[in-house]
Amino acid sequence: MQDLEKELNKYITELNKASKDSNINNAMTRAVKSYRNNVENAMEKYPHTVELANEVRKIKEYSVKNYKQLLEKAIEAIESNKGKGYYAKDREEVLNILKQIIGTGKVIVKGKSMLGEELQLRHGLEEMGNEVWETDLGEFILQLKNEKPMHILSPAIHVPREQVAEIFSGFFKKDIPPDIAAEVGAVREFLREKYFNADVGISGANVVAADTGQVVIIENEGNVRLCTGAPPVHIVVVGIEKLVPTFLDAMKVAEVTWRFANYTAPSYLNVISGPSKTGDIEKVTTYGAHGPKEFHVIFVDNGRSKMMENPDFSQASHCLRCGGCMYECPVFQVTAGYYGKTYLSGIGSIWTSFVDGGVETAAPMLYTCLRCGRCVERCPMGIDVPTMVGILRNQVISE
Amino acid sequence: MLKGSDSMNKPRIPAVFEIIRENIIKHNNPLSLKTKETSVWVKDLSLPTEGDILFYTGGEYQLLPYMDSLVKTMEFVDTSSTAFSALMKTRKLVNKLGISSEKIYASLLAKDKERYFSINYKAAYILKKLGYSIFYNKDADLYSGALLFELGFWNDLKEYAVKVVESIKRTGAKRIVCLSPHAGEMFKIVYPKITDFPEIEVKTFIELVWEKRDLLPPVQFEYPVVIHDSCRMARELGIIEEYRDILDAVGIKYVEAYRNKKWTTCCGGPNKMLFAEISKIVASRRVAELEETGAKKALISCPYCLSALENGLGNNNASIELEDIVEFLFRGYEGACKI
Repeated sequence: MQDLEKELNKYITELNKASKDSNINNAMTRAVKSYRNNVENAMEKYPHTVELANEVRKIKEYSVKNYKQLLEKAIEAIESNKGKGYYAKDREEVLNILKQIIGTGKVIVKGKSMLGEELQLRHGLEEMGNEVWETDLGEFILQLKNEKPMHILSPAIHVPREQVAEIFSGFFKKDIPPDIAAEVGAVREFLREKYFNADVGISGANVVAADTGQVVIIENEGNVRLCTGAPPVHIVVVGIEKLVPTFLDAMKVAEVTWRFANYTAPSYLNVISGPSKTGDIEKVTTYGAHGPKEFHVIFVDNGRSKMMENPDFSQASHCLRCGGCMYECPVFQVTAGYYGKTYLSGIGSIWTSFVDGGVETAAPMLYTCLRCGRCVERCPMGIDVPTMVGILRNQVISE
Repeated sequence: MLKGSDSMNKPRIPAVFEIIRENIIKHNNPLSLKTKETSVWVKDLSLPTEGDILFYTGGEYQLLPYMDSLVKTMEFVDTSSTAFSALMKTRKLVNKLGISSEKIYASLLAKDKERYFSINYKAAYILKKLGYSIFYNKDADLYSGALLFELGFWNDLKEYAVKVVESIKRTGAKRIVCLSPHAGEMFKIVYPKITDFPEIEVKTFIELVWEKRDLLPPVQFEYPVVIHDSCRMARELGIIEEYRDILDAVGIKYVEAYRNKKWTTCCGGPNKMLFAEISKIVASRRVAELEETGAKKALISCPYCLSALENGLGNNNASIELEDIVEFLFRGYEGACKI
């Protein structure tokens, strides 16, 4: 058992330090302001989103209750689309499946995924002897800094352009000015070569339609398009809570997700059903045209089924990962991702309790929560974090 | 800062939590303040000890100056040090004599005691003036156990709540008016789930005042005020417009903070005991939000918010004053009575 006393003291020191960090302070102040303005504008422009969120809540409730059937159905659909579907109960099983598919000595390009962070996928793949590149700009910065994400959507929210320039100049071994366009350009140039020479592309998913086996990924940078489209193999690693019954349901989930993630519309919505194919020559279907020849989807449990089956906590698995709650959390506003482990802030403490170390690991986070409830107001799923935090505190005390 | 355990397999809980738990269970108060001490405010009011509406303070406003002092003390104490462990041992010894060392420490640093105590007096005075037949019974003014609920001591709360409920039942009250929203939340929402809570109507001070707001005397204040909605009041209890109506009734103009009502910003008070620095920053940010409205005064209706936000004032040379709504409404009666 870890030394909780030491852990908590370390955690408090880190939180205090973060709260005095001017980079975090400036970045968070700007982020909160623009998030609120953007969401307000997006809602004004698309007022149906509120009603749609209620519909999505019902879809999620149904899906979480029926996840076993949906999982079966999704794997069946993926296989009939000539892809391969897997179920992995934990990190070890995920890594075993990945080892079978990828092997060693390969170049892998990876899209941003919270589940990937939870499973420490990059490290696992590197330990197998592979070269792995994070392709999301924020994740790429953190890969070079060897740090954890500070926000689920904007992982490098705490790193200002001056620091990015310094990191990039060191890595690319040339002078990169503290100009955002130049910084983005340098990464684009570097990764472009990686996409087309990579053996494997790995991504997460925002939602999966069980009836068609279609995987939906929302993005803005275009990196997911490239890393799921250019390499010959595409592997999706996704939590079982992301399953919904139909493609139409998946679209509804996607729209609510991006709207509450402060976008009127994201730049890209990727929908992937199977390996690329063509029937242009003699109407003979041949797999592996311009896109990947192989398509694998690994559905991961890693504690999710326990959460989903527990009536007190199943609502936590409705989380769309829009990140809205974090912008409204008074503690997160001053500490960013230091308030959390992989999953951050109040909802993160629930997820940590189930999938990322257990209640004991989550204890400091559980007591950081003010239980003020503003996150519930923002959450499109109306997830009652304060109530669940209360129940888990009781577990911390009672254990 | 976590309490040591006998077994390596048992999670250890923060020492300050354990102090509070023990005090509530043994002394009916988080800092083992006695009702004899917490009820001194009542002496000039000649309230009956029986009647229809039980005026319930739960000792919460009285507790805050002590609690703040305890937190300030703990800020300067290395809780993992031998000195602190020794203090804890001493506490156990002196407890047998009915005194607690943290109380002594807290008392030594206690400030604003008079102010927080007088809020009880002023609240009872206002209700009396509005024609409510309130009564006060110090034996039925045991702490509600809100901190047991907040910190996760639910098994302890279940046992403790029986004692609180019995004390209330004995008064024969038909209604109970809670001064603190935390007590309101406990009696309205939590107790019915865990106890055999009697058929007593539970109201907050704000609700009762709102019902007879037209009888309130006007308050003279030339500038607009801003309301700090407390999280418990606004989001848990849904008491929002009542404040505004009351201010309208006493002729006071008010402005709204950017984050208010259901979207109100927390005062930072709830995690003060473990995360004092963060709590202070959260409080000062909320003070800044209230200041941004241009109001000269912010009105508060929760002892924890009042205390936390007062703490936040110090950080930014605030140009805004904080007042409990009880204090503010009482201004209407000033001159007509002696405090």
